[in-house]
Amino acid sequence: MKEEIKDIELELSKFPSSVLDEFKTAVNNISSIIEEPYFSSWARQGVQIAQKTVRSWEAAAEYYKASSDVSKFISGADLLHWGQCGLNLCDQSPGLAVSFFKSSTGSRLQNLNSKKMSDWAELGSRLYKGTWKSSALASKFFESSGSILEDLTDTELREFGDFVELISRKSIDVATECLILSKDVLPSIDSNRSDFIKMVSSVAENNWREVKSCFEYAPRFIQSFEQSQRGRFINLSASIAKNNLPNLSLFLNETSRSLSGLDENYQSKFLDLAEQLLPISSEAVFAFLQNAPQLVNQITINQIEVWFNRGIELLNNNVEGGLAFFKIESTTSERVIDELSSSVELEKVQGVLRIYCRALAGADIEIGNSAELVAKNIGWVSANYATTEGNVVYLPHISDYYDNKDLNFGLFKVISTHQVARIEFGSFEFDFEQESSNFIDSRLQRETEAIEQHKSHVEIDLVDESQETSAPNVEKSHVTDMGRYFNLFPNRKLALDLFTVVEDGRLDYVIRNKYPGLAGLYKRVQQDSMEDRPDIEEMPLQEAMVEFLVRFSLQQFQGLPCPTAYIEEAKLLLQIFNKVLTEDTTVEDSAEATLRIYDLIADFPNTELPEEDWSEIDTEIEEEMSNEEMENLLQQMTANSSPDFGDLGESQDYESPPQVDFRGDFKPELSQLLEKMKLNQTDSQSSMGEGIEITEEMLQQMLADSAELELDAESGQFDEELSNFIQNLMKESQAPQNDQQKEGYAPIPHQDDEGESLTVQEEKSYVYDEWDFRAVDYRPRWCLVKEKPMTEGDTEFYQQTVSDYRQLMNQIKRQFEMLMPEVYRKIKHLPDGDDFDLDAVIESIIDKWAGESPSDKVHWRRNKIERDVSVAFLLDMSASTAEAIDESRKNPDDWDAPDDPVEYMVWLRARRGAENKRSYKRIIDLEKESIVLLINALETIGDRYGIYGFSGYGRENVEYYVIKDLEEQFNERIKRRIDKVSPLHATRMGPAIRHAVSKLAKQDSRTKVLFLISDGRPQDRGYSREGVEKEYAVHDTRMALIEARHKGITPFCLTVDKSGHDYLKTMCQDMGYEILDDISSLPTRLPTLYRKLTF
Amino acid sequence: MTQKKNNSNLAQEFMIEEYTVEEEPFYVPVTDEVEMFEAAYKQRIPVLLKGPTGCGKTRFVEHMAWRLGRPLTKIKTTKANADQGSALPLITIACHEDLTASDLVGRYLLEGEETKWIDGPLTRAVRHGAICYLDEVVEARKDTTVLIHPLTDHRRLLPIEKRGQVVQADDNFLLCMSYNPGYQSALKDLKHSTRQRFVALEFDYPDQDSESKVIAHESGVDKAMAESLARLGEKVRNLKDHGLQEGASTRLLIYAGKLIKYGIPPRRACQSAVVWGVTDDQEVQKSITEVIMSIFE
Repeated sequence: MKEEIKDIELELSKFPSSVLDEFKTAVNNISSIIEEPYFSSWARQGVQIAQKTVRSWEAAAEYYKASSDVSKFISGADLLHWGQCGLNLCDQSPGLAVSFFKSSTGSRLQNLNSKKMSDWAELGSRLYKGTWKSSALASKFFESSGSILEDLTDTELREFGDFVELISRKSIDVATECLILSKDVLPSIDSNRSDFIKMVSSVAENNWREVKSCFEYAPRFIQSFEQSQRGRFINLSASIAKNNLPNLSLFLNETSRSLSGLDENYQSKFLDLAEQLLPISSEAVFAFLQNAPQLVNQITINQIEVWFNRGIELLNNNVEGGLAFFKIESTTSERVIDELSSSVELEKVQGVLRIYCRALAGADIEIGNSAELVAKNIGWVSANYATTEGNVVYLPHISDYYDNKDLNFGLFKVISTHQVARIEFGSFEFDFEQESSNFIDSRLQRETEAIEQHKSHVEIDLVDESQETSAPNVEKSHVTDMGRYFNLFPNRKLALDLFTVVEDGRLDYVIRNKYPGLAGLYKRVQQDSMEDRPDIEEMPLQEAMVEFLVRFSLQQFQGLPCPTAYIEEAKLLLQIFNKVLTEDTTVEDSAEATLRIYDLIADFPNTELPEEDWSEIDTEIEEEMSNEEMENLLQQMTANSSPDFGDLGESQDYESPPQVDFRGDFKPELSQLLEKMKLNQTDSQSSMGEGIEITEEMLQQMLADSAELELDAESGQFDEELSNFIQNLMKESQAPQNDQQKEGYAPIPHQDDEGESLTVQEEKSYVYDEWDFRAVDYRPRWCLVKEKPMTEGDTEFYQQTVSDYRQLMNQIKRQFEMLMPEVYRKIKHLPDGDDFDLDAVIESIIDKWAGESPSDKVHWRRNKIERDVSVAFLLDMSASTAEAIDESRKNPDDWDAPDDPVEYMVWLRARRGAENKRSYKRIIDLEKESIVLLINALETIGDRYGIYGFSGYGRENVEYYVIKDLEEQFNERIKRRIDKVSPLHATRMGPAIRHAVSKLAKQDSRTKVLFLISDGRPQDRGYSREGVEKEYAVHDTRMALIEARHKGITPFCLTVDKSGHDYLKTMCQDMGYEILDDISSLPTRLPTLYRKLTF
Repeated sequence: MTQKKNNSNLAQEFMIEEYTVEEEPFYVPVTDEVEMFEAAYKQRIPVLLKGPTGCGKTRFVEHMAWRLGRPLTKIKTTKANADQGSALPLITIACHEDLTASDLVGRYLLEGEETKWIDGPLTRAVRHGAICYLDEVVEARKDTTVLIHPLTDHRRLLPIEKRGQVVQADDNFLLCMSYNPGYQSALKDLKHSTRQRFVALEFDYPDQDSESKVIAHESGVDKAMAESLARLGEKVRNLKDHGLQEGASTRLLIYAGKLIKYGIPPRRACQSAVVWGVTDDQEVQKSITEVIMSIFE
């Protein structure tokens, strides 16, 4: 034995000393663990390794080194097998063996059977292709997989190895990266490992560049799914990968994000459907899964299926259409969702509600989204509640409480009616000194008393400074009447809550009486909101009594729980409240009632009462008390100290009970303040500042006091928040300033073609649908048209044109004038008319006497055909109009502008620079000249006409310049605007036409004409399908022209593009169009065409 | 034969409304318009009634004709006078864009082998001493409105060009016209030379109380229903200029009331009388329907 070791040592000494050293250490460690014959075989094996090739001694050193550890965990036989594996690797490359041994630690190899071990070694060896890179990869493989050996099953290991090999054939770098990532990823995905490996394998086969990101996203998307759905999703992704969807990693990332919030049922449903969709179109699967959150938000799980089936149907008939459907980028898709959905979106009903509210209130009410008000940060904080500040009714963005569309709309109606009632029935018109109608007014008296009490307190304070004043500080300055009123209460929070309940109760009562048709629905909403109320019996006394009143105001009249000891008080409360619930009450009644209710409730201890102390009472009021009786009773009760409960524990701080959902937020003080500030603002603007100036200090004081702001005084940010509020309030109260029209060329905000519908965010911008001819459907709200007046230059261009074309102009004028007399021509020989035509009568009589049958056509009439024409001219202001007319034109179809917005700006600037040096006449100049001539002609015959230019860049930037609006009279400014017509960007014709049509549609002329003057085919960034199909733009334009026709407008296209025949035939098919071969004939031709078109 | 046919056709064309108001037309005064009209009539100052459609202008004129005619009947109740028609006749001429001067003044007709002059309604009113009421006068052609100028100042003359005559107006004659400023467009406005010959009475829809009285009286619905209808009227009028060109007229509300009285459910009645009456805009229609649904059960 010893000799053998000696032998081996001798052998090893031929190699660098580290081998022998390692051997010696190993022998010491191992000899006690490994028995013969394994031990000597083990030692021999090392020599074999070392002798294998020139550099294999390194492997031997590693072999011995690792052995000490490995031998602790595996049997002698396995140890030998392990060594054998390494030995085999040496055949290929000693380096491989080195990393094999290095990666082997006992704990890893522990559960490895011999087969798995050789597999492992073999997999590594397969990766080695004899290059330096591949050997690095193989080493990496051992290193990485070594750490996960334990987690992988035999098959998984094999699959993983296969995968690494597969990817290594594509790119060794990617393979290496995957290996590094796999160390963390594979253990984390646990049970779905095999599926995952299959998936990445198919990704590797089809699109290996995505593999790395798949690994990167893996932990995240696995997390997003419920355990049961993970495998399915991975399988789905694998199939998608097989179908060659580009951007698989994007798919993984986006879909897992959109599905992550959903519960198991939904996820399973979506995956079910996605699997159905898979054979048809993987792109649709992507779109479908991406939209999951929106779908879940709007429709139920079963409805999703209905929607889905419609999409499948469409997809089978028309791939593009189906795709747009699943992307929810088609009107059909939106409509189906809308039909299915039971929720009602504010956006959809805003128009109807606005008019409804205006009708009710008789004021210029606007409807807004509560979120907008919250965003202003002027005191309103909840986006889920409706509210109003007196001018705008803010509503939550969606109504989905019920599972029925009508009811949800009804809910919207109830909510907005309640808000409008605040305006209609004067909640904000509170006047401190105004008399109430049902009460003996006590506000002024109380105020005086309070002031005196305060004074006496101040005197006491002088003596004893430590004593706190509990009397309300009435001398505080007040900005609003509401504020003055709330100054009467020491506990403003309680006062505000009570006032809110009473006022809301009053409004509910008035609404139900004045609008009996709504009463049924109103009652239902009231009852449903009752279900969400907290349990009175579990509330402390004061809060319970407030809740008691809330219930009463919601018309719960039976079985209201009430503390037994307070039944008399409760009955009195109801008596007081009931006085508000008559017709013709005002907000002042609510104020008086609140004062009295407060008197009673403020005295109650806010303690919790044991269950047995509650009894139920009916709140039907049998007999109404007179005012005197009530006041007396009130005095008695407030004078008596409250009933004694003995020890009931601490009185708690008063907390407001939850608000009644449908009534929303009520902030009378803030609303009055805002109104007042606005008034002051306009006063000072008209320099008639009668109102008292509201200083910032006053605001600060007022806001700090007000119970309407939910400021956290504890947080230390109180002051900061407060000054924020004040800033915002000031801003809000300022009259909206007229936005200066931006001149020149502002940088263009960039928005992707992919993406969502656009919304109107600024004034004078309009959204229009766009026609997708492949999908055979509209893309909803796709283009944003921004209307702006053309900037004004000088009138020189106009004058110049007039003198240049004097002769032509006179000629045109004459032509137009000659048409005029026709208008007034008498038509003779009519059977019926204004009067007899004497000649005809005589003739007729002569005929009769002569025995012939006389003609009865003896009347004349004025030709009633009065000229009644409105026409809109749309000028193409695209960049291509900058071309010289005599220059042999380049192929005008080439829209050679770069697609990238940044590059585009550079390109544009270069182009403009070149232009400044021009001396030739451009197309646009001819367009302008023609317009000048036409204006002159049109002024002669008095047609109503508008002249507009359009250009733009991208769907969110369709610029629509007004040179002369239809209603505008011709004047100097228009002459100046013509000067500024110049080539700009691209030509997205569709939306420009749609906008012009919407303008024309508002005219009530008998003949309406849309005259489009362009120099080429419509084109724009993203105005095509996939960036190549120019047909898209042509078809959209065609659709816009057809829409015009449906609205009774005659469209006509005039183009100077010689190659226009091909697309104009499609674009204008059966509509009028003309192609001018000789561009310079435009000024002559245009008026002639116009004349022909309108007579 | 044709001649005869022609004649009968022509004769129909020249039929005019000429009648005296015998029963008191129901009218609830809004302000002092009754006194104003009386004063104007006593001084023979022509009157221009301005106001939106269906607010009661025509009814007011009828009421005034009855009212001003009444004392005459009462004072002179002798048999001799009664035959001559002591009440004040009212001649209403609905103006339209094809109304010509001869339609108003008169024209020659062929009768047998001769021509015969037939007085137009205005000439008749001038001769007989009636209140001549030109309804919606802006609709008439400009040349017809000029025709009335000599009648409306101190001359009180009606020239009949075709006959070379001038007719001096009867003492009782008064010209009165109505005009709806609602359709203000440059085309359909009264010329100042015309409008400044009249004293103008401005009309508007009555307030809720008076209107509900009118509705109750005219349609026969009960008080509560009449009040609801009046409330609806007010709400719809709030929308004027916010989607509606004109608010719902009292006349429409009365129609709705009549339908309800006949047994049509209120919501349905209002929909057909009010909603579809006032607008074609679908969104506005929907909003007004919602208002109706809120007011009526």
